[in-house]
Amino acid sequence: MTKPEAMISFSDEGTTEPVAPGAEPPRSPSPVRAALVARAPLLFLVALLAVAIMVTPEFGTAANVKAILANAAIIGIVAVGTTFITLSGNMVSLAVSQSGMLAAVVFLSCVGHGWNQVLAVVVVIALLVAVGIAQGGLVAAGLNPIVVTLAAGAIVLGVVAQLTGGSTITSHGADIGWIASTPLGIPLSVYVFAAVTGLATVLTGKTVLGRRLTLLGANRSSADFSGLPIARTTIWAFVLLSVGIALAGILVGGGLLSANLDTLNTLSIDVAAAVLVGGTAIQGGDGSPLRSAVGACVIATANNVMLLNGFSLGVRQVGSGLTVLIVVVMLALQRGRTVR
Amino acid sequence: MPVEPPTPKADGQHPLRLQMSGMSKRYGAVQALDAVDFELRAGEVMALLGENGAGKSTLVKVLTGLVDADDGHVRVDGEVVHLFPTSRSQAAGVAAVQQEISCIPSMSIAENLVLGDQAAGAFTSPRRLAADARALLEPVGLQHLDPRRLVEEISVAESQLVEIARVLARKAKIVIFDEPTAALSDADITRVLAMVRELARRGCGVIYVTHRLREVFEIADRVTVMRNGSSLPPIAVEDLDVDRVITLLLGRRLESMFPSREPLSGEPVLVVDRLQAAGLAEPVSFELRPGEILGLSGQIGSGANVVLRALAGTVPGVQGSATLRGRPLPLRGRHASTRAGVGYCSDDRKKDGFFAGRSTRENLSAPWLSGVARGGWVSRRRERERANAIAGSFAIDQSRLRSPVQTLSGGNQQKVVLGKWLGTDPAILLVEEPTRGVDVGARAEINHKLRELCAEGLSIVLASSDTNEVLGFCDTIATFYRGRMTDVRSHEHWTEEEMVREVMHPVGAPS
Repeated sequence: MTKPEAMISFSDEGTTEPVAPGAEPPRSPSPVRAALVARAPLLFLVALLAVAIMVTPEFGTAANVKAILANAAIIGIVAVGTTFITLSGNMVSLAVSQSGMLAAVVFLSCVGHGWNQVLAVVVVIALLVAVGIAQGGLVAAGLNPIVVTLAAGAIVLGVVAQLTGGSTITSHGADIGWIASTPLGIPLSVYVFAAVTGLATVLTGKTVLGRRLTLLGANRSSADFSGLPIARTTIWAFVLLSVGIALAGILVGGGLLSANLDTLNTLSIDVAAAVLVGGTAIQGGDGSPLRSAVGACVIATANNVMLLNGFSLGVRQVGSGLTVLIVVVMLALQRGRTVR
Repeated sequence: MPVEPPTPKADGQHPLRLQMSGMSKRYGAVQALDAVDFELRAGEVMALLGENGAGKSTLVKVLTGLVDADDGHVRVDGEVVHLFPTSRSQAAGVAAVQQEISCIPSMSIAENLVLGDQAAGAFTSPRRLAADARALLEPVGLQHLDPRRLVEEISVAESQLVEIARVLARKAKIVIFDEPTAALSDADITRVLAMVRELARRGCGVIYVTHRLREVFEIADRVTVMRNGSSLPPIAVEDLDVDRVITLLLGRRLESMFPSREPLSGEPVLVVDRLQAAGLAEPVSFELRPGEILGLSGQIGSGANVVLRALAGTVPGVQGSATLRGRPLPLRGRHASTRAGVGYCSDDRKKDGFFAGRSTRENLSAPWLSGVARGGWVSRRRERERANAIAGSFAIDQSRLRSPVQTLSGGNQQKVVLGKWLGTDPAILLVEEPTRGVDVGARAEINHKLRELCAEGLSIVLASSDTNEVLGFCDTIATFYRGRMTDVRSHEHWTEEEMVREVMHPVGAPS
């Protein structure tokens, strides 16, 4: 349980001035309220954890916590990457499931053919980045991101189906056990998740690119008129997401030692849910990778509780959808109240 | 229980239509209204003036029922009434014409006229609707418009007049105009102002909120000035002049609205040669010297703003050339243009000037982030120093640098939108409507600051539909009419009458 608790203690509002509630004129949401809005999903997580532990005896076991973390890591790595897209005002990518599957299939195929493993990792990242640049370029040219990523997902799925004939790709006995290793008893993917979250948070808060992404999402026209490089910034958002997807795909493929068209097929909804639950504004301009990481933990916990209680995949999917709706409605109500 | 206010007295000729006494409203720590008294006679135009934050908007919101006052009495025609919520305010005969147009663009003029009218049936035939609409459009001088046309097809001024027609149809007793001319050109303002007077002649009490002092002297009978949430007693316009009004507004004397001009010299910093873009009927050429402020004056659609946008790189398909400090100026995209040394502020700062939700400091640093970064890392310290320097020189409240930019007053927002360019060390600044929606105090500050920057070598091209501002502020003035630059002269060779004629109907122009 160490990881999620470490997440809970985060604070990216450290710079907020202490202001008494109601001391601001109307229409300007008070910092206290804003902080509450940002933390609403977090409170939700705590409540969920409490209920889950009460109704599910096996929830607190070490094996289960490890399972939650491993699941949260995959969703989280991609959700953290997606945050760049969301922050920049381009909503979410609907191609992450298919892209993650592509990464897993290509990685296994490369190592299965006896390639150097480092080279395989580099090739997968390069391929995914190329796919990301293509999408980012189209979005930067003014096309709707939802339509572009939806189409890209279909194309990726189609190409892989055509090339593999729908068959399952395996590692052919290549020695990739390190991917599923658990240094200090924690899965490798969790370390990657933590590192990616840390890097992304620093990038968002401290670099020119991170600032530009946020400004672009806050107001695209203003960003344009202020001389910000719109196209380059948009493409960078897609590149960063693509790196995240590549890492997640490699971790999943390497962990399972096999991949097919169904690999990671619920990733898109889980990632979108994680970003939204985390409290990054879907219209862009406000949010952080750290919040999405927390969101991923919420979604993974929810999935796990449903699994432990013997819910079928169908019920779990309904549960994921409902979780998204409830959290989004919660945030909308909160925001609505702060505006009025 | 507060004591009942005395019954209002009439002035003999006109009965007292509205009397508000002791109106108070507090938002948290902010006392927006502090025991405000306000009165309005039937048949008069009462100008309501005040700097941003003085409490005008809150008073208007109380009147229209958007906000409930904490304390105070309101009488309409001698009857004590409660104006909250909006339905009660409407029932009491209050109507408002807003600064932002509230017509629905995708509906026809006729449909807009009956919008929200309880008396209109659900199934009125389009023909019947159109016939009723014509009767309403005639008094506002829009009889030439087909009521079946969509509002999005008519001009801003015309849709403003459609709103006035709607108010007329409602037979409102008290009509509030909240900066109705902010988005209009001079010729259209004349039409709207005439309608405002007409409403008063018909016995309405009109409250006219504006930042434009000239309009006050054109149409108002009396003036109520608000300052820091309090009201001063109403004063008849005959007893006032511009200086006196400004002194009342600010509570101090303003040295002068427009700073003095320095003689210009030196080689041109910007040479524009045969610039051509959509919206211009013929190519435009001119030069800009170091420290010069060039004003492009014209009505909406005259092409003055197009020239600025073309130079800023925000319109596609620009032909011709521009040379900045001897180098060709890229006219494609703001990014290249910014790097070449061109700052640009559009006329709509909400839409494309600032980043709502982000802090004032982040807004200021947006164009020059890479200038305070090394290897892609933003230096917070250097960013803070540069932002503080800009805030200091533009008189932006430094304690508000961490607050979201949209919580600043209109004047401060405009200072942020202009000031952010200082960090890029631009050679020229292109500004559309530099003081739109800005109160007199901040307006004078902005003018003085811009002039100061020019003394340090900056050159400015501004486009403005406010002839008074262009004439008082610019070194050189170019007039635009229907996509053509009709004349360029140094400021001392222009009179206001000549300028108004040039932008409204130049000699030799087709009628």
